[in-house]
Amino acid sequence: MTQPTVASAAIRRWFQNNASLLGVIVLIAAVCVVGGWMTDRFFSLGNIVNVYEQSTDLALVSIGQTLTILTGGIDLSVGSLISLSSCLTSGLINGDPARVIPVAAGVLALGTLIGVLNASLVVSLRVHPLIVTLGMGAILQGATLFYAMGPVGKVPRDFTFLAYGRVAGFPLGATIAVAFCILVTLFLRYVALGRQIYAVGDDDNAARLAGLPRTRVLAFVYGCSGFCCAATGLYLVARFGVGQPYTGVNYTLASITPVILGGTALSGGRGGVIGTLLGAYLISLVNNLLNFMDVSKHYQLVAQALIIILAVSVYVQRRRTA
Amino acid sequence: MSETVTPPLAAQDQRPPGPLRSLLSGYGLFLLLPALLLIGGVISPSFLSAGNVSNLLLQVAPLAIVAIGQSFVMIVRGLDLSVASTMATAAVIATGFSGANGDVFAIVAVVAAIGVAAGLINGFLVAKRHVSPFLATLATMILLQGFRFAYTQGAPSGNVPPLFRTLGAGKFDGIPCNFAILLILAALLWIVLHRSAFGRRVFIVGGNPVTARLFGIRADRVTISCYLISSGLAAAAGLILSGYVGLVDNWVGQGYELDSIVACVIGGVSLKGGRGSIPGALAGAAIIVVIANEVLLLGLPIQLQIIIKGIVIVLAAALYAR
Repeated sequence: MTQPTVASAAIRRWFQNNASLLGVIVLIAAVCVVGGWMTDRFFSLGNIVNVYEQSTDLALVSIGQTLTILTGGIDLSVGSLISLSSCLTSGLINGDPARVIPVAAGVLALGTLIGVLNASLVVSLRVHPLIVTLGMGAILQGATLFYAMGPVGKVPRDFTFLAYGRVAGFPLGATIAVAFCILVTLFLRYVALGRQIYAVGDDDNAARLAGLPRTRVLAFVYGCSGFCCAATGLYLVARFGVGQPYTGVNYTLASITPVILGGTALSGGRGGVIGTLLGAYLISLVNNLLNFMDVSKHYQLVAQALIIILAVSVYVQRRRTA
Repeated sequence: MSETVTPPLAAQDQRPPGPLRSLLSGYGLFLLLPALLLIGGVISPSFLSAGNVSNLLLQVAPLAIVAIGQSFVMIVRGLDLSVASTMATAAVIATGFSGANGDVFAIVAVVAAIGVAAGLINGFLVAKRHVSPFLATLATMILLQGFRFAYTQGAPSGNVPPLFRTLGAGKFDGIPCNFAILLILAALLWIVLHRSAFGRRVFIVGGNPVTARLFGIRADRVTISCYLISSGLAAAAGLILSGYVGLVDNWVGQGYELDSIVACVIGGVSLKGGRGSIPGALAGAAIIVVIANEVLLLGLPIQLQIIIKGIVIVLAAALYAR
């Protein structure tokens, strides 16, 4: 056996600490190999930027969803909250450039508030987050439909910069998602509240007995998820140019897939947002590859389901043998 | 031992429920339904007319059938998000035939096969691979949806054979056929759950999997059976619902996955497993349908239906929370 060098030891330590990322990295590599073999346009700069750009919405919602799942909870109100945010954004701005900043700030604040409300219901009613956020989702969807039954309002042309703009060649929205992801990662690692998220998710009772501020942790986590939904709503308005009352429907369940692919355990206490971001890229890559292969949209769903089944089966296998 | 054992509910929170809360959580459900009927009767004279009651029975049957299956899965600590997808897939593929009565046997065989396949995938992933039920059934949901779209290429065709039209929408002396089917299924499954050895095993596996194993119960078989029951009932309900609607589209039964969970939660089936009953699930489904009907009869805005549903689910869950 050869003496391990410092570098290889460091690499090995990184893999030990980030074992949950391994699955998604391997899958991304596999998709890239297949993609490069199928078509040489796959690795063209334009296509890579395209994949990066198309993952933005999913990445944004899923980062918030990761935090709720880390505490052992879940947020099923994301779809409705995205719809509500998008309708309010374009409805209230209604083409007036002067209103963009106040409305955007207001929508982000409202999203955060609704998230905190979710958390306070979870704590005060002692009901599982699944039920609370499911009910909240229904209430928000109803409220959205009260506000608008169809596409509503419009936004100034400059607003679409959020979705289509480039800063030094990088798509703006997608880069904001990456920056946000790094920020959350640092928060989870170096701030007390961030570490307490893992403690609550790992063992709720032990965390309570240890005197950790469970209420504050949940309020932060669901508030953050609400903030991410509002941000996604803003982004979708920028992309489509208009807010729609059903624009978020699919995100409720779709936001969970990248979290799971990224190695975060649904039971809580294990995982992180970097994996989630990679999970969102994986989904974006797969859809892109299937588009190149001229696979119809219908089979893309089948492929997505098979990837989920494959990924979760592999994770569980490794966890049990470890 | 790799499983983590959740401590009994009582140990998690020492606060005993107040007398009002325990009264409501014990009997509230069976007070709420008559109360709703009474309110409906007082406010709108047409509510308790024979025609409307007959319509209510007609509408409650598909949801109640799905809710019965959902309650089996929830009692073994599971969750079945794939029911709506199973319903639609069964309906779409079954009616892809010519629509004559001669196809009935083939249709029943195909529908049964779809139900069994979905149940086996769910059950296998959950019981054998220890995938979280939420995720396993989510993957099955997307998988079936993909197959459905691939089969129909987005545009389902075909007719519902007259026999299924009768079963789904026909009435004899004001009693809808599908309600009669519901009663027969409910009676059979009530015996299975509440009066058979298998039913006892279901409750033991859901209440405490470790105890179940110490008793020598094959927990995996019990769990897989529960998922089979749920998917089988969902496939049957899909056929009945398509008979009621008279045509099929790709979204027959959309929303039933969440509505059936809501029905079970209202009916006192615990998300944490080990608690629940068939009459509870039936009453829960009835409450959902009655609320929707009253909102319509009162001429209230349709959006209120969703909002009220959201409020009811959270309140119901809060009542049962200990």
